Amino acid sequence: MSVQARTGPVLSLAGLNKSYGALQATGDVALEVAAGEIHALIGPNGAGKTTLVRQIYGSEAPDSGSIRLRGEEIGHLSVPQRVRQGIGRSFQISNVLADFTVIENAVIAEAARTGDAFRFLRPAVSDPVLVEGAIKILSRVGIEGRADTPVSDLAHGERRLLELALALASDPALLLLDEPMAGAGPEETQHMIGIIDRLRGDVGILLIEHDMDAVFRLADRVTVLVEGAVIASGTPDEIAGDAAVRAAYLGSDDDAAA
Amino acid sequence: MGVFSILRDGLARNRLLGLILAGFALFPVLSGIMDEPFWNDLAMRIMLLGMAAMGLNLVLGYGGMVSFGHAAFVGIGAYCVGISQFYGFDNGWAHIAISLAACGLLGLVIGFLSLRTTGIYFIMITLAFAQMLYFLFVSLETYGGDDGMSIDRADFMPIDLWDPLRLYYLIWAGLVIVSLLLMVIVRSRFGVVLEAIRGNESRVEAMGLVPLHFKITGYVISAMICGLAGALFASWQEYVSPDIMHWSRSGELMIIIILGGIGTMAGPLIGAVAFLLLEEWLPELMHLVAPAYAENWMIIFGPVLIGVVLFARGGLVGLLARIGGRRS
Amino acid sequence: MSFILLLEQIFNGLQFGVTLFLIAAGLTLILGIMDFVFLAHGAQVMIGAYAAASLTALTGHFYLGILLAIPITFASGYLLEYLLIRHLYRRNHMDQVLATFGLILFFNELIRIGFGPAALFSSLPPSLSGFVNILPDTPYPLFRLLVIAVGLACALGIHLLVSRTRMGAMVRAGANNETMTAALGVNIRVLRRLVFAAGACLAGVAGMMLGPLTAVEPGMGEPLLILSLVVIIIGGIGSVRGAFIAAILIGIVDTMGRVLLPVILRSFMGQAAADGAGPALASMMVYILMSLVLVIRPTGLFPPKG
Repeated sequence: MSVQARTGPVLSLAGLNKSYGALQATGDVALEVAAGEIHALIGPNGAGKTTLVRQIYGSEAPDSGSIRLRGEEIGHLSVPQRVRQGIGRSFQISNVLADFTVIENAVIAEAARTGDAFRFLRPAVSDPVLVEGAIKILSRVGIEGRADTPVSDLAHGERRLLELALALASDPALLLLDEPMAGAGPEETQHMIGIIDRLRGDVGILLIEHDMDAVFRLADRVTVLVEGAVIASGTPDEIAGDAAVRAAYLGSDDDAAA
Repeated sequence: MGVFSILRDGLARNRLLGLILAGFALFPVLSGIMDEPFWNDLAMRIMLLGMAAMGLNLVLGYGGMVSFGHAAFVGIGAYCVGISQFYGFDNGWAHIAISLAACGLLGLVIGFLSLRTTGIYFIMITLAFAQMLYFLFVSLETYGGDDGMSIDRADFMPIDLWDPLRLYYLIWAGLVIVSLLLMVIVRSRFGVVLEAIRGNESRVEAMGLVPLHFKITGYVISAMICGLAGALFASWQEYVSPDIMHWSRSGELMIIIILGGIGTMAGPLIGAVAFLLLEEWLPELMHLVAPAYAENWMIIFGPVLIGVVLFARGGLVGLLARIGGRRS
Repeated sequence: MSFILLLEQIFNGLQFGVTLFLIAAGLTLILGIMDFVFLAHGAQVMIGAYAAASLTALTGHFYLGILLAIPITFASGYLLEYLLIRHLYRRNHMDQVLATFGLILFFNELIRIGFGPAALFSSLPPSLSGFVNILPDTPYPLFRLLVIAVGLACALGIHLLVSRTRMGAMVRAGANNETMTAALGVNIRVLRRLVFAAGACLAGVAGMMLGPLTAVEPGMGEPLLILSLVVIIIGGIGSVRGAFIAAILIGIVDTMGRVLLPVILRSFMGQAAADGAGPALASMMVYILMSLVLVIRPTGLFPPKG
């Protein structure tokens, strides 16, 4: 607790609002992600989870409210600026460079990370400095063995891992994971859970996930979003025992917390 | 890795382009033996159009930006020479510098304004800027208006261009420099990011890079290459008129690229060879088959273009690669 | 400049504007709902003009010529879609630009072979070549008024078709979602072909009405194509309403510019120079207008929803 007090939360949202016409997509949301914790954001379809992530990431502007990253207001920054400030994001639908190989994906990410992408002379893909960094990026999720494979030849699960690797490439303080297990088989899901688990302590993670088993195994804290508003926030045990959450969301699925 | 080894590495990866450049270097020997000086003239035109198409290919093929107005940069490059001479300024090297600066600046402005849009809107706004410049030069009576202005072959001290062969090798040298430059750029960090943006802009943003900066830079480089081609074009044609910027000229540059192979190093140059040879030979072919219609060779050329789109994906470079692939 | 001359120019602008609208109406739908860059739409204008001019000469009757030419333009669009265009929907914009550029070359040459390179001048029947007073003592050519009337009537018809009919609803929905429209019981292929044919027909009608006013010659469609692309971009790709407003705007700006700019220029340069530079500067104004619109609103004035 004392460590957290010193470092403070990596992300804090306050009074965040966003509506599309009459539809309130985000209603007065307050939320904190502590450094190194895994914070799950759950809620039924259409609860506004992805909209919230988009506002944190910067691809959508909130109507009002504040978004602070490590205490600094970032609401006015563009997406690339926020990434450079320390936000990494994986997308719900794999968003990797499909025309390139795995290592080329990582090389570009490494060039972006080092801030030296505006160079015109030396070939990028055979630059030993970049390749070394790129291998490191891939090894964090264990796909360095597939380095020379074209992305189009990757299995779905491998794509998801590359997606995660690219999100981690910029050494973010906050990682936004939008359904990292989406479309994955049981084995791939277990593998992904293991990798995300190992990131705990290194990076604050805001995790959107529908797989309740994964949520309750991974999350340090859980926030429940319904119709754009936070209806509960707490440890997994507290959330599993929360009557309002059961009524609004978990419904009759009592096994979810088991 | 020094500059020399980077170039050597680049050439090793682009043998086809190297081969064509060597071919153009030796070509005057052949035309000399055959005593066909007109061939050199045609080869110069091919190199100039090829150079402009290479410049466009950087944004079109590698950057995925469908610019439909690049003939304007060729035109501005040529008019820079004409207008400089009009005011008694004769140094060819200075003309080139002026053309590069003017096209770079213009590319920056047009790129900055146009790259806010995407898709069909981008195609059309680049067309609109080119049309603006076209009509601007039609309206400038001082510089010949619609009729254009004649240009003296510029003074490239210490190279005296009295011999057409010297102009030939000046153009060839320009083409080699542009080729080497592009060869290096597309494999550099900048080039790879530009190509990544073509495929997936949002992923590049998610890496913390600003796609617009790369696109504008690519647009400016491409405009400057077209400007260089235009400046040399002025010396070759000894004349410039607004026709050089007509929208159908921009279309021709796109045709050359797709014909040769979009997004490849050698494609634009091969496309230029094919395009101009078709333009030369189709009328003769028509003359043989149907003499009355020799003038109407476009009736064949139009469907050829459509056929290329429908059946020859990857253009001639793709075709060569497929033939080579089958053999090995 | 007198008020009467100004009024006359406004009417000329209106007449040019509705003509542009007829060309742009189909093209905006082709660009919008099919996401297809069709550069050969100007050739449809030329086909319409030639069909009407030659059929008029053949039958010796202006109205009969027009009446026979209309189905020809419809059929040419229908056939073109069937033979070529439908194979290009899935291609990227560049391929579409190249293939339809090839079409332009082909059609222009075809006309040149069939009718010769010289321009045809078609004359109006006496019943249409008169003048009417639009204000007391302000005669205006009857045929131009008729063009305005036909243009406005077509605009109203297209508006009703697109906004009131089931098929129009499909078009508005951006009927490029094959599974969705198939589920609704609409044959997307037929819908596309009909939009194409109707667009060609409207462009052809524009050509027929331009025939007696300008030179009917190979390549006559391209300047009109470029201007109607400007219209479509300003109006917002896929928006018929936007195309209408933008067409009138461009028609009036272009026409007025041609007349007013030389007058303005004459005050600070020689008459010959002013008369030379004026029309070109007027053409520039159109493109300046378009870039201003796009810089401020990157998807045009009335982008269709969704």
